[in-house]
Amino acid sequence: MFESVEAVQSALEGQKYVTTKNIATVVYLATKLQKPVLVEGPAGVGKTELAKVVAGALGIEMIRLQCYEGLDEAKALYEWEYSKQLLYTQMLRDKISQVLEGADTLKEAANRIAQEDDIFFSERFIVPRPLMRAITSDKTTLLLIDEVDKSDPEFEAFLLEVLSDYTVSVPEVGTIRARNIPIVFLTSNNAREMTDALKRRCLHLYIDFPDLETEVAILNQKVPGIEQRLVEDIVELVQRVRNLDLKKTPSISETLDWARALMTLNADSLEKDLIEQTMNVILKHQGDIEKAQTELSKLLSEKAAAQRAQEPVQSTPTSIKKSVLH
Amino acid sequence: MQKKIVEFTNILRKAGVRVSVAETLDSFLALDEMTLDHRDQFKAALRCSMVKHSDDISTYDRLFDLFWSGFHDSLREQIKEALQGLGDIDIEALMEQLQSMLQNMDVDLSELAQALLTIDQNQLEQLIRQAGDETGIERIQNMLQIGFFSRRVLEQLGMTGASQELENLVEQLREQGMDEGELEKLQGLLKAVQDAMRKAVRQYTERELDKQNHDYIERFRQESLQEKSFYNLTEEDMRKMREVVDRLAQKLKNVVSIRRKRERKGKFDLKHTMRRNMSHDGVPFELMFKRRRKDRPKMVILCDISSSVANVSRFMLQFIYSLGEIFTKIRSYVFVAELGEVTEIFRDRDIYSAIDEALDGGGVINPYTRSNFGMAFHVFWRDHLATLDNRTTVVIIGDARNNYNDPRAWCLRDVHRKAKNVIWINPEAPGAWGFGDSVMDEYLPHTDVAEECRNLRQLSKLVDQLVL
Repeated sequence: MFESVEAVQSALEGQKYVTTKNIATVVYLATKLQKPVLVEGPAGVGKTELAKVVAGALGIEMIRLQCYEGLDEAKALYEWEYSKQLLYTQMLRDKISQVLEGADTLKEAANRIAQEDDIFFSERFIVPRPLMRAITSDKTTLLLIDEVDKSDPEFEAFLLEVLSDYTVSVPEVGTIRARNIPIVFLTSNNAREMTDALKRRCLHLYIDFPDLETEVAILNQKVPGIEQRLVEDIVELVQRVRNLDLKKTPSISETLDWARALMTLNADSLEKDLIEQTMNVILKHQGDIEKAQTELSKLLSEKAAAQRAQEPVQSTPTSIKKSVLH
Repeated sequence: MQKKIVEFTNILRKAGVRVSVAETLDSFLALDEMTLDHRDQFKAALRCSMVKHSDDISTYDRLFDLFWSGFHDSLREQIKEALQGLGDIDIEALMEQLQSMLQNMDVDLSELAQALLTIDQNQLEQLIRQAGDETGIERIQNMLQIGFFSRRVLEQLGMTGASQELENLVEQLREQGMDEGELEKLQGLLKAVQDAMRKAVRQYTERELDKQNHDYIERFRQESLQEKSFYNLTEEDMRKMREVVDRLAQKLKNVVSIRRKRERKGKFDLKHTMRRNMSHDGVPFELMFKRRRKDRPKMVILCDISSSVANVSRFMLQFIYSLGEIFTKIRSYVFVAELGEVTEIFRDRDIYSAIDEALDGGGVINPYTRSNFGMAFHVFWRDHLATLDNRTTVVIIGDARNNYNDPRAWCLRDVHRKAKNVIWINPEAPGAWGFGDSVMDEYLPHTDVAEECRNLRQLSKLVDQLVL
């Protein structure tokens, strides 16, 4: 486990994940207090990624439970393997008649069967689902309950029970207690407000879109070999686009995609035509693209004006830079 | 420390952030794990264990700064200013001299006087806070009490006594033969520090008032906004409204999702199971369940966009737009005298342009005529009655001011017979229904719910009825 907040930060850095103090503190506390973390924030800011890198940094297995509408206990916790049970009874038919041999009354036969029924309701016939696996695992695991907001409120209530005691009760077998309390991450896109009861049991972490410096750092981390000026241009534009009123705001992963796309196209700075051609990497609706284009022309004209103003002063450094680059 | 945190929790609660006792306890546990030398970490640790709604984060941030640092800094600021105001005195040298002289003297100073003399800022801060607690400063409620509470805190501190002590000390020093110039400097210094102290106490009181009243203005504004009628809203108000509508719509969605879930799983289907398992020699390996048909609510909305209700219909269209994102089967119409369908505009366009387009008649009707509800209903009856069935909820938004035209209430009667519900949202108060050219009373028998809705509070009440 982690020693301190700084240790968390450097460990995650090692996994190529740029964190803020805030994130690192929450992760540290989650491992120390053994409390689940509810991670909220817009889509594509690296909520799921955070869980992955924490698992990576600790070198533990990550068990993922993807939530969706209609997810129920059978899919999340355990299920009796009905067909296997049935198959066994079919195959053991002879054995069963042996057991029943010599039983004179119906009552006696029923008693004999009753003595054996543990066989059919034993752990042998349980199919463990992610929650059960995380709890019964021999080693500490990281349990990621992804997009918990997509699940139904009933499932949320059921999660509460599991997350508060880390026990699971299977009526036929008994209560199964966690051997190792897993580190739990829940992520939510806020499609639905989670109940206060669930929130109370969790530490809360809100990850927003990163600020300019952080996003630059992320880009440098994730897209090695990219030119610094291009990075700054990309991030500046994306940050401005995010402020527009869009149907779908571009996420970090889309910024990364765009940076990679521009790298592939061998771009070393953002030109108007190039942006227009590749805009669809970050924006997925026609209406959004149109809106962004007006913003874009504004930005470009501003930049040009700024450059003109700086030109006489900065003429030497830029020329040096150019000669170095080419 | 724990006492401070509990106090902070109370202030958060006052500002409308929900913090439970369990969460406060969690924050104690969290702080046990932390070293407290990093302010960022301290702040993050408290936040993640106490504040669980992303909307509350900005409030938390503001209150945190107010509570955990503000006074600390302002006291130091005051003292620094006071010392700078003295011009260039070598304070350290003066202090050293003082120290050596005091060693030979037998003086017994109170805590406060000592702290003032040595300018021990931590001690001073401690003393002010202590005095504040003892005077019950958290009871402060308005601006007028600042003077009163400041005096109380100073009394509690024993400020008058302390300054007397310090004066006596200066006299004693003079008797001991301290240099007159030095003495003057010392007097100046002591006076400046005491002034700074008084100012700091006043600031402390003001800050305390800020803390207690932090959300007062904001809350006042929101309350009045909720009561405000839609007729007189500015752009900014509209924006806030939209947020609330989004929240309402979200709430609606939750209820719908719960209902759908309940319907999903049916009973065990014996016939289907037997048929299905014939290939297994009749051994039921695969169990089949009856699938119940999902009850997808349908919705038809008729919205009056005549000039008399222009501001309300803008807001209502916004509400319809949000509904459209939730209900898959929704059809929306706008009318003045003619009636036109705007479902597609609402589905394909973004909210602002869709609303503007709809208000302009959606390219299907002329919005600059006089309202004629009878005619609009007749058109609906003639062309669209077939789209209604017993799962459809019809929502009509309008003031039923018919300009003395034929109301043709029988059209609405037929609509009411075919649909599951008819809900009428009227921006006018029930007292005005049926007076003048309003024909609301004729339509009233053919509706299930007819509500006055002019402001947000009424709308939110109505929303609960929409899903029932």
